[in-house]
Amino acid sequence: MATERGVRRLAAVDAGAAGLGLFVGQKAADAAALAPELVIAEADPAADGQALLALADWCARFSPAVAMDAPDGLFLDITGVDHLWGGEAPIMADLAGRLAQNGIPTRMAIAGSPGAAWALAHFAPAIAAPGDEAALIWPLPVAGLRLLPADAAQIGRLGLRTIGALAALPRDQVGRRFGPEVMRRLDQALGAASEALMFRRPPSPWFARATFAEPISVPEDLARACGDIVRRLCARLEAEARGARRFDLAFHRLDGQAEQLSIGLALPGRDPAAVTRLFLPLLERVDPGFGIEVVTLAAREVETAKQKQQSLSSPISGGGDVEEISPLVDRLANRLGEGAVWRAEAFPSHAPERATKRRPPLSPVTNAGWDLERPRPVRLFRRPESIEVVAPVPDDPPLMFRWRGTAHRVRRAEGPERLGQEWWRRPFDTADPAKVRDYYRVEDEAGARFWLFRAGLYDAANPPKWWLHGLFG
Amino acid sequence: MAVRARLAVLEGAARRSALSFGDARVDGRLPGGGLPLGRWHEAVGEGMEIETAAAASAFVAALTAPLAERGEVVWIMRREDLYAPGLAGLGFPAERLIQVCVRDEAEALGTLEDALGAAGVVAAIGEAESPDLIAGRRLQLACERHGATGFVIRRRLFAGEARQKGSAAATRWRVAPAPSEPALGEPGLGAPRWRVTLERCQGGRPGAWIMEKSDGPLPLRVVAELGDRQLDSPQPFHLAG
Repeated sequence: MATERGVRRLAAVDAGAAGLGLFVGQKAADAAALAPELVIAEADPAADGQALLALADWCARFSPAVAMDAPDGLFLDITGVDHLWGGEAPIMADLAGRLAQNGIPTRMAIAGSPGAAWALAHFAPAIAAPGDEAALIWPLPVAGLRLLPADAAQIGRLGLRTIGALAALPRDQVGRRFGPEVMRRLDQALGAASEALMFRRPPSPWFARATFAEPISVPEDLARACGDIVRRLCARLEAEARGARRFDLAFHRLDGQAEQLSIGLALPGRDPAAVTRLFLPLLERVDPGFGIEVVTLAAREVETAKQKQQSLSSPISGGGDVEEISPLVDRLANRLGEGAVWRAEAFPSHAPERATKRRPPLSPVTNAGWDLERPRPVRLFRRPESIEVVAPVPDDPPLMFRWRGTAHRVRRAEGPERLGQEWWRRPFDTADPAKVRDYYRVEDEAGARFWLFRAGLYDAANPPKWWLHGLFG
Repeated sequence: MAVRARLAVLEGAARRSALSFGDARVDGRLPGGGLPLGRWHEAVGEGMEIETAAAASAFVAALTAPLAERGEVVWIMRREDLYAPGLAGLGFPAERLIQVCVRDEAEALGTLEDALGAAGVVAAIGEAESPDLIAGRRLQLACERHGATGFVIRRRLFAGEARQKGSAAATRWRVAPAPSEPALGEPGLGAPRWRVTLERCQGGRPGAWIMEKSDGPLPLRVVAELGDRQLDSPQPFHLAG
């Protein structure tokens, strides 16, 4: 039940309520009067969306290409998949049976185009043989075209009740009278125009699936299943000289939940042992519930990849061989997270915080951008630390400073190196002389070298603040 | 003696090579005439350096710069304050450096071990508080797989007394900054200098030196040898009378 313009109306009814003559859009008070025992729940579109998303993920066991049709529909592209079940009818029966077991009422249809399948599923569930779609959707109501409510109402007012009646009209008249959207939907339903579905994941032909006669749940079995399915998919990749950068493994449980694991590779790979090794530590996260009946594995970002045969104990070579280092990078990135492993690359910016950019460890980087004539510290603090200084002359380096409670007497100093704000990144009028930094490199009596800066220009009224930004070591 | 000789042969076989400092005053104290490669080493800071590990990092970066020409170097840290332009300034090829950020001590040591045992890694540097004997032994085994050289920079994330445990490192270096000496008549700071103390060395003798970053083919230049009585081999006492 949802509240619409101050009136509480039924947003959805189940089969029992429909049997009592209740319908969607009915006022809640009327419905309660008709059926006093009516149980009403507040509509929750967000939760419905979540549930549909979960269902879409679950449907990946039938086909890797699942598109959501909010609020209550799913498209499955079963091209080339149905033979695994022995045809279109068995796959639909299997899907319907499993959904029914989980208490999800369904209407399903199979057709050659998404538009025709939608119309059939909503008004006359059937399996359309190739070429039969037009005949099947001809008698269906115009609402089967997924039209905007205003268009549908307009067509209805003109007495066109069925798709066939609309399709029989001359095309130019339909286009002129109802607009291009109606034409497009009509063509899509009849298969004359193509339609791009937003698949939940890009469809991947690199997909393997293993079904178990008895559900499995023991960790050793999961590991073995993982190894088997990885070997199968990798053998196909090997046969076509391809490698993948991502592998998504899904364990489908008896209760309809799917446990997803994925790993990434820095270089496209297809070594089953390496892929399995990356999955094994993740397996302990899998909660098998009452058991796992289906395992699917999809390879993503598949690229042509030639892999050299290399021995396990190759000695340290001349270096620069990214393939040699990639297993380590994969292990670390999968264990610690992709952002935790990087190579620093020079970035053209004079602001010290922005002078390096993190790049994936296997991409070639150049460090030509750093000016080695300007010394930079080994440790750069993310936040400069406030220090108290004794500086006699405004533009001179300090004679003494106190950092973390310790006084340091400056023995030698170098500077200033004036670094301004990057005014081109913000509106020009927000540039502020107080943002100018004068950096000094100073050495205390013990020889420790620090990178200090004074923020802002000297101003007698507001003494500038001093900061410690890094250590040279 | 025969056993000792055989041990020396075995150890020599296990030891691949050594990284020379190019100065007999240092190389003479190290087994094999230089920093043993295919082993792991410790670098320790002093005072505030226990938390910031700046001098130790700069020293290790300068020391490993020649190694980085031959393969990848992995630097494992818990706090992301390593600044690549600074390493480049020390002559370290920063494009050969893979930086890894880990969450805790155990992960740091595990990652260091993993990196040392990986193909293509010539050196791995880890910032850790105190590897115990078992962790040290594991690091050593990882080093032996491909001959990679390991460094553990002792670092605590929060200031305080660092716990010192015995460890299986081949050498332990204590690194402190030392006042620089710019060339005569030049203003500002000179090349960075460190007071480097070799505290422990398997098969060698401890020593202490002032070293300076050099622009020559070798990354470090020994400026002076420090005569530290505690570190020198004990002198026989001559009792009067």
